[in-house]
Amino acid sequence: MLIQIETSSDIPIYTQLSNQLIELIARGQLKGGDVLPSVRSLASDLGVNMHTVNKSYHELESKGIIRIVPKSGAVINPSIRDGISDEHRLRIVEELKPIIAEAIVLGMTAKEIQHLASSILSDMKEE
Amino acid sequence: MSLSIFLITLAFIILLQAAIPFLLKRSIAFGVTIPEQHMKERALSSYKRFYSATILITGTLALTVYLLWAKNRTLSEDQVVFAGLAIQFGVLFLSMIMYLYFHVKTTKLKRTHKWGAGLKQVRIADLASHAKDEMLPSYMFALPALITAGLLVYTASQYSQLPAMIPTHWDIAGQPDAFSRKTPFSTISLLLILLVIQGMMFGINVMTKRSGIKLTSAKKKASQIQQLAFRKYSSWFLFLTTVLITILFGFIQLVIIQGGMGNAAFMAAMPLGFLLIMLIVTAIYAFRVGQGGSRIKVTVEDEEAMETAFVDDDQYWKAGIFYVNKNDPSIFVEKRFGVGWSINFGNPIGYIFLLVSILLIVLISFFS
Repeated sequence: MLIQIETSSDIPIYTQLSNQLIELIARGQLKGGDVLPSVRSLASDLGVNMHTVNKSYHELESKGIIRIVPKSGAVINPSIRDGISDEHRLRIVEELKPIIAEAIVLGMTAKEIQHLASSILSDMKEE
Repeated sequence: MSLSIFLITLAFIILLQAAIPFLLKRSIAFGVTIPEQHMKERALSSYKRFYSATILITGTLALTVYLLWAKNRTLSEDQVVFAGLAIQFGVLFLSMIMYLYFHVKTTKLKRTHKWGAGLKQVRIADLASHAKDEMLPSYMFALPALITAGLLVYTASQYSQLPAMIPTHWDIAGQPDAFSRKTPFSTISLLLILLVIQGMMFGINVMTKRSGIKLTSAKKKASQIQQLAFRKYSSWFLFLTTVLITILFGFIQLVIIQGGMGNAAFMAAMPLGFLLIMLIVTAIYAFRVGQGGSRIKVTVEDEEAMETAFVDDDQYWKAGIFYVNKNDPSIFVEKRFGVGWSINFGNPIGYIFLLVSILLIVLISFFS
């Protein structure tokens, strides 16, 4: 369950952290009910500001992926089996659109995009 | 007697100072981060050898001259002690100058050859690291304080029987040579100092336990095993030190209470024994563990050697020795040039805690 932060990257550290935590959940390495390390402990391990980790945890909370329980810390929500809610679907579509648009503009064909999506999917299901 | 004490400590200091470059991780040379592919660079190993050889040769020379000088003359105790201390400081000063010289050289080497220029700056953490941490629980450090509390009660119960003058200092032969008038404070000042030391050790264990477990990107698994071993053995070392200090202070307090019972030879042997055990334990700790556990043998192979990334935190290490990082909530971090922990000067809690503890000790010994 490794978190890898690239400090020289253009992507903000809290976004990198959120993305990696989501990926760990998607791969099943983190499961519903698992508790994430405290903000202080993860910030110390990475040598980053506590606000950065805090921001990432709050972002995950607002997306409904974790809940922050007083005293127990950041707990991962059980994965949703009965389909995505309309609100979340809308957000995902909004976030996916510009990326697909950029891929088209940069020369990716529809087939390539579909192939990429399915290869990412199978990669995540594998583990 | 003081001559042999100084000879032993001096030999120990020289050996340990000379050994330091070889106790360190290969990814850090003289306080400078070195990327994986440059670790075996010729210049670096020649710097290390030069550093060690200079300290070893100069130190041995000074030791021999000191021995011959003290043996062939009748000198006062003070002269032997003064010369011994001067040589100790000399060796430490020489190591410091040599360190700074090679720190500057290594920094230049890295800059002119642009080591690590194209590499990604990566930091790694394992979400499960802290669950595997085997540092001693901090309440263990409260146990020696129980002994102190017991001695406090015992001293209070014996107060009326204590002599009017309380010994506060003993000469090298174990005879008391300084006294202060009996007051409730002067009879327990030693125990109060012991209590502050125990509190300091407890605090250090709490704070080091909360410090980050930082992994090396090139060797994730190996560095985690070594880090965890370093943390475990460092807390054992800290605990053993606390127990030894408690025994030494407790013993001296009993001598104070019992007055004449304190056998002079025993009184002289006790601090010497303490010193010897401490030196041996420190040597075992330093050579077995090494910086961040770098001397702990690891059989696990890392499947993927990440040659494209490394963690370069040189910017936070002033002169390669002082860690100043306001963002890092760790109060203590792994030492950069040596074995053990070092303070994060970007976080005032650590140095304020140590300063207050030391100030308390100074105040207690001054007013007792």
